[in-house]
Amino acid sequence: MRLLAAAILLFALVLPAQAERLVTMVSRDEVAITSSFSGETLTLFGNIEPEAGSTQKYVEGPYHIIVVVTGPWQDRVARLSQPVFGIWMNTQQVLFKAFPSYYHVLSSAVLTDITSEATLDELDILPADQAALAAQPGKGDPKVLGTELIRLMTEQGHVGVNPTGVVFRSDTFYAAQVSLPSDIPTGPFLAHTYLFKNGALIAERSEGFTVRKIGFERFLGQASTGQPLLYGLVCVALALFTGWLGGVVFRR
Amino acid sequence: MQIYLPIAELSMNLFFLVGIGGAVGFLSGLFGVGGGFLLTPLLIFSGVPAPVAVASVTGQVVAASTSGALSYYRRGQIDLHMALYLVLSSVLGAFGGVATFAALRSIGQLDLVISLGFLVLLGSVGTLMMIESVRAILKRRAGIVVREKLPNQHNWFHGLPMRVRFKKSRLYISVLPVLVLGLCIGFIGSLLGIGGGFILVPALVYILRMPGNMVIGTSLLQVVAMMSATTILHAVNSQSVDILLAFCLMVGGTVGAQFGASAGKYLRGEQLRALLALLVLAVAVRFGFSAIVGPSDPYSMAVVGLGGVP
Repeated sequence: MRLLAAAILLFALVLPAQAERLVTMVSRDEVAITSSFSGETLTLFGNIEPEAGSTQKYVEGPYHIIVVVTGPWQDRVARLSQPVFGIWMNTQQVLFKAFPSYYHVLSSAVLTDITSEATLDELDILPADQAALAAQPGKGDPKVLGTELIRLMTEQGHVGVNPTGVVFRSDTFYAAQVSLPSDIPTGPFLAHTYLFKNGALIAERSEGFTVRKIGFERFLGQASTGQPLLYGLVCVALALFTGWLGGVVFRR
Repeated sequence: MQIYLPIAELSMNLFFLVGIGGAVGFLSGLFGVGGGFLLTPLLIFSGVPAPVAVASVTGQVVAASTSGALSYYRRGQIDLHMALYLVLSSVLGAFGGVATFAALRSIGQLDLVISLGFLVLLGSVGTLMMIESVRAILKRRAGIVVREKLPNQHNWFHGLPMRVRFKKSRLYISVLPVLVLGLCIGFIGSLLGIGGGFILVPALVYILRMPGNMVIGTSLLQVVAMMSATTILHAVNSQSVDILLAFCLMVGGTVGAQFGASAGKYLRGEQLRALLALLVLAVAVRFGFSAIVGPSDPYSMAVVGLGGVP
């Protein structure tokens, strides 16, 4: 038995036909948020090629791609509100620690057509898997509240599963459109690409990009956290000045 | 035209922000209140995160109250001595309010307390104002001359120890009720994100028996000072004051307030009070509705912090 396993392993190592690699790229590695920012679309594209150094000239599909785009982590709570003596109050609350603030799964086909559910579970690709990973024990059912958290974030456009998000332009070249809404959190993003062939994962690759404020918006964001007292004083001074100016301009 | 709000981390329409600032400013100029109790729920409903809405509206209330306070000051209608006591105690109350705000947020009952707080506060104040103004309107219809209450009638708590002479208001009363009033206003105001002008004005008239010509100016100055302090507290504590959001609201608010003030000249005092009572009751009903009938979606979510490594 062990001999057989070793033989298979050896066979897999020397077999050049299975050696594909992914070459991926994001259209921009930095998304700048300026005063007129109202969301943006990035293109993620890639090509499937023979492994570097192999003698193979071309690769043969059919291939499937799953791209998972993950935004910076946040601690989030989901709550259930129920009537208690006639007044609605939050009765259940579950904390999801280090949950992605943005989580989109783009694929070239319906996920269960690409690979088995066991593989999807193992890779934690579905948003529900992420919720299960992040849920902390608390007052409430983590499974139900996790599902509801995913639903709320999907309505907001921060979570999504799109089985037509990856489009093959040729047998080996694909492109995926990643749409970032206007209320996108800032920070590091990760686009993880999985390459599947006949239901098996054969290659994967990560690309990062950053969403950050630039110019005046960046200055304000930094001032509010770096110099909060000064920032507050400036806010008050601005308010007093605006109020005074309004009184002067409109005085008759 | 979209404008990106760097602290709220979302972009909103500039004209919408200036517009709601102007509309609420118009009402605040008309009725002589800060308008925070309208603006905060409006912003939350438009998708601004609740902490950012509460903190940024405090900045807007400062601006909206400043021009009014200045014009009353020029006319000599502010009792600075009384305002000093009110401001000092209300800033203390604001510390308590901001701390309670943070504590409630962490146990997840902030929404409920804000809803119930608005319901009880606005409901009772609105009902009282409504009864009082409808009575005044009916009396005027019937041709009865309404005699203003004498300002110098004393209550039992005016005679408590630590009496102080307030020259401008022609009062010689204990400072204890003044300080308690300031503490309560500071606590409620910072907890609910409102200036508290609509509580302070009746309290000064009916509890402290302050003369009518001093009430509005003193209340406005107190709101400016207390909300300035609350803005700084929020900026330091939760870092959720969005200066761009506040500025858009301020610009609309100060312009709207001027138009509101001139429109107010065409309405009589009791009619104005009846309209304000209607408005206050409407907001109270809105909050009561969500607490008793329940939200449209029983599930909700909130970001409670930046995530570290899991």
